[in-house]
Amino acid sequence: MMKLKSHIPLFIAIVGLFCLPLFIHNPYYIHLAETILIYTILLFGLDIVVGYIGQVSLGHAALFGIGSYTAGVLYIHFGMPIWATIPASIVVTAFFGGLLALPALKVIGPYLAMVTLAFGTIAQILINEMTWLTEGPLGIKLPKPQLMGTVMTEAEFFWVVAAIMILALIVVDRFVKSQMGRAFEALRDSPVACDCMGVSVYRFKVIAFVISAGFAGLAGCLYAYSEQYISPNTYNNELAVLFLLGIIMGGRKSRLGAAIGAAIIVLLPKLLDDINLFRIVASIIAIVVVVGAAMALSKKVTTARRVAIPLVGVVGLAVFSFWLNSIADWRLSIFGFMILLVVYYLQNGIVGFAKSFYQSIVGKAKTTRGEAAEEVDDSISFISSVAKQNTGAELLKVESLLMQFGGLKALNNVDLSIKRGTIHGLIGPNGSGKSTMMNVLTGIYVPTAGNVLYAGESVVGKTSSDIALSGIARTFQNVQLFGEMTAIQNILVGLHHTFKSNMVEIALHLPRYIREEAEAHARALALLKFVGLEDLANEEARNLPYGKQRLLEIARALALDPELLLLDEPAAGLTSPDIKELLRIIRKIRDSGITFILIEHHMDVVMSLCDTVSVLDFGQKIAEGKPAEVQADEKVIHAYLGT
Amino acid sequence: MELLAQILSSGIAVGMIYAVIAFGFQLTFSTSGTLNFGQGEALMLGALVGLTCVDTLGMNYWLMIPVVCLFGMIQGGFVELIGVRPAIKIKSEFGWIMSTIALGIIFKNVAENVWGRDALPFPSPLPMEPMTFLGANILPMEILVVVGALVMMLLVEFFNRKTIYGKAVVATANDRDAAGLMGINTSMVITFSYALSSLTAAFAGVLIAPLTLTGATMGGALGLKAFAVAIIGGLSSGLGIIVGGLILGIVETATGFYISTGYKDVPGLILLLLVLAYKPSGLFGKSAIKKV
Amino acid sequence: MLSIKNLEAGYGKVKVLHGISIDVPKGQVITLIGSNGAGKTTTMRAITGMIKPTGGEVTLSGEKIDGYESHKIACLGLAHSPEGRRVFTTMSVNDNLLLGAFPRFTGSRPKGDIKNDLERALEMFPRLKERRNQLAGTLSGGEQQMLAMARAVMLNPEIILLDEPSMGLAPILVEEVFRIISNLKSQGVTMLLVEQFAAAALKVADYGYVLENGKIATHGPASKLQDDPAVRAAYLGGAGGH
Repeated sequence: MMKLKSHIPLFIAIVGLFCLPLFIHNPYYIHLAETILIYTILLFGLDIVVGYIGQVSLGHAALFGIGSYTAGVLYIHFGMPIWATIPASIVVTAFFGGLLALPALKVIGPYLAMVTLAFGTIAQILINEMTWLTEGPLGIKLPKPQLMGTVMTEAEFFWVVAAIMILALIVVDRFVKSQMGRAFEALRDSPVACDCMGVSVYRFKVIAFVISAGFAGLAGCLYAYSEQYISPNTYNNELAVLFLLGIIMGGRKSRLGAAIGAAIIVLLPKLLDDINLFRIVASIIAIVVVVGAAMALSKKVTTARRVAIPLVGVVGLAVFSFWLNSIADWRLSIFGFMILLVVYYLQNGIVGFAKSFYQSIVGKAKTTRGEAAEEVDDSISFISSVAKQNTGAELLKVESLLMQFGGLKALNNVDLSIKRGTIHGLIGPNGSGKSTMMNVLTGIYVPTAGNVLYAGESVVGKTSSDIALSGIARTFQNVQLFGEMTAIQNILVGLHHTFKSNMVEIALHLPRYIREEAEAHARALALLKFVGLEDLANEEARNLPYGKQRLLEIARALALDPELLLLDEPAAGLTSPDIKELLRIIRKIRDSGITFILIEHHMDVVMSLCDTVSVLDFGQKIAEGKPAEVQADEKVIHAYLGT
Repeated sequence: MELLAQILSSGIAVGMIYAVIAFGFQLTFSTSGTLNFGQGEALMLGALVGLTCVDTLGMNYWLMIPVVCLFGMIQGGFVELIGVRPAIKIKSEFGWIMSTIALGIIFKNVAENVWGRDALPFPSPLPMEPMTFLGANILPMEILVVVGALVMMLLVEFFNRKTIYGKAVVATANDRDAAGLMGINTSMVITFSYALSSLTAAFAGVLIAPLTLTGATMGGALGLKAFAVAIIGGLSSGLGIIVGGLILGIVETATGFYISTGYKDVPGLILLLLVLAYKPSGLFGKSAIKKV
Repeated sequence: MLSIKNLEAGYGKVKVLHGISIDVPKGQVITLIGSNGAGKTTTMRAITGMIKPTGGEVTLSGEKIDGYESHKIACLGLAHSPEGRRVFTTMSVNDNLLLGAFPRFTGSRPKGDIKNDLERALEMFPRLKERRNQLAGTLSGGEQQMLAMARAVMLNPEIILLDEPSMGLAPILVEEVFRIISNLKSQGVTMLLVEQFAAAALKVADYGYVLENGKIATHGPASKLQDDPAVRAAYLGGAGGH
């Protein structure tokens, strides 16, 4: 692994971290550093929800509290030592994380934020009220843990926390870089596509919350021993918002971002307590931003309008600090302003900003081509050859399908029979029910009546991810790629079903996981090469040209090892050369035995590819047969042209 | 029987306040798909501004109401301009969630600094002696709360149904693009809906202030519970909100009596979680069809 | 009246229109036909401000309106009956019609006699008159199409844009819709009609443009286009069929 070189800064940082108590003896500063480390562990967990599944969680202060109180309660009621309370805190908090995930399953965005807020409020109330368990508002006092009979010093406990933080860092890093992390990101970018690629959105949402809560619980437990006193009102909504500020400002999806964020939220209140220090820092920041803006303006990297607000904000803050005698009372307003600033001007956090700053100076070429020069193994058969001898047998049967939305019959008594090894076209005017059919076949809609039989078994009522895993893959009319993920990562999500390794194997990088990751990686590259995208493997999907996005979607669908591939308007918006390439690829896939259902409006595509064509109009099948027959059918001409 | 009547009457009063605040959530959510996480703080500011008018400036309670309403409109417009509009422009849901939270925090902090951290009493415009009805003690102020809340909601309904501008707001809520095609300036409608939403919250603030203590912290819990009401009733149904408010108010008051005041807030929040788990569109709302 | 020059537009990365030019003279009915995905609805959206054009210009009565917001364009006298009808489902037929005249209430357009116009519109669309207090969401597809058209008429517009009025309608209703379009034409209303149903559109229009893959494939007087094999090819591909 030639990656050792890039780990050097990390090694230096770790060494520096452990040496800290040797140079700084004041327990106050050691404690401060310790708090930063503990918050970092929590932010690792919060990042999974905020950065990876992309939701706002206002419940992590409560999870933090549950971790602390598990330790506290186990200590005062059972006298358990730290080596027992740590795992207990992790497990109990993870359990509550799962509990939190249940009402959150079907909702996203503001609803999910409210679920977490409600959860946080309930938890705080319960901790406060259940005095028989938690001592309520009185709080719990804990001593520092014992090591071989003697109580640990501040420095010794610091080393314990630092070691645990490093472990947490390694574990979370391995999780998010594995198939689990990719599942989380897929969930965020397109829940529908995620389900249709065989990755259950519900399941992974719960897993994300459980893991996230586990880290929060660990942090909470360590916090209890660090502070040596816990009380309910610490774990309030303001702390929850502070945690969010930390991860957004530091940078999402970044371990360094979590550390920076933790440092900011620990040091900032201290900074605000000392007005003179604050004045100095605010003035320095104002000067830096003014100079930076002047440089950016002179290089024409940005416009006056865009820098106006941050400039005014930062300079205004510096002036404000000289006017006030004490800024401690305005702490929360400062946090509020920082959130506003970060949400609109620093969306990728400090880490993201530093990265793009670095890239704009050094040039992008260096950063993205790093890994792509891997060899593609042409000997890999990336499309599993489906049994060719059954060509012509019936693979999919749709019987008297009725799909009704209120009073509208989107599909009205439709019968279809799809034969193995064929390309079956589905055409018809707008609103005739073609996409509805796709959605029924992939489990997005449950039909009102009728049956769908795939290889003899009914798929009605099955979930989208089960249907995907049983061999039906699809693409979407409006491209549903996982935009923020790279091309190869998109394919790797499609290959999720090839991973059997569990969390422990991922965390410890056991051989089965390493092997599965390597095999999937090789296969993904082969699939990319098949559609001609191997050079763009590390490019974010949303940055790809439209035509290439469509091909990527097809490659991703192939990763499922499907027997039946449903393409929804694959040629829409493509130019002529792109369409030629598309036809070539589809034919090649068909040659390996995969069956197709193709929705298209481009008649040329339909005519040249399809073996059979079914025509829908107003939700009913009005014609079926070979392409040329259908093209000349009176009913079809009337449906389209009106003659 | 007397206890039941007491629980019901107190519960209804509390529930109507939740309903009025929830109403504000519905206004902005229907027109823009966004809502103000700092809605509770809008109520709090209304109450505190009202207090200043009545205490410091010696204004009459009834004259103060329109002043507070005007303040609410301006505050709502401000929230929309700073927190919501930029987020809608960059199509970031995360953006308006975090910025309305941030603005809420800022407002609360400003209130703490301007009015202090203590809870202050609000002079009641009506006599404080309770009347008895079916054995329950009812404060005249509680009746004012219920009446005031209903009147406010009815006024808005009237506006929506009878005036062309109200119809324009309903049209924007129904189909924003089509409303634009009619010549309706939908950005202005959204700003207006936020102004109106904060107005109703501020008004609710001066209604409830005489019944409880007024202070910088009064908004937080109210906002969350109002959200629970909006969800339970369904973000698209006006009647649902009133029903939801009544349910929550009564359940809460009953919990306060039978279990303990500390646990008062819990059942409502659990009800919220249950509704979100099983029928996110609310008891009265319509489920949306997925479009792919 | 309405002039479109080298219009380019699309959605995000996808460019749908590659420079089209259409002229709608006052008092005429111009039709834009083509198969699905050709870009007809995109053209309508770009004209009425629902999406911003990326190139070219759109001029209405001499004023450049490309880049304007929808409501501003409506206030200049351009009424749009959009694809899919988009009536306000939770409001009554009456209210929908009143909203069509919104700019007249606010003074952005000459007020005239709104009440009178409302009654006249209901006379022109008898089906709507029967249902004037019904919620628009409960109307059938055909009735909703009538409503969308009547709503556009309520603006007292300079020009009406009709986007796929026949979509999803049974043949008998399609006939009725086109009868109304003919009626409006005889009253001198300027119209730009986008249709998938080429035959009916060409029968009622004065001039036609055929859109294929985001470009104008051919154009000419409607009567000539009716027999043109290029039209058939644009829809069904190749030179197949009759």
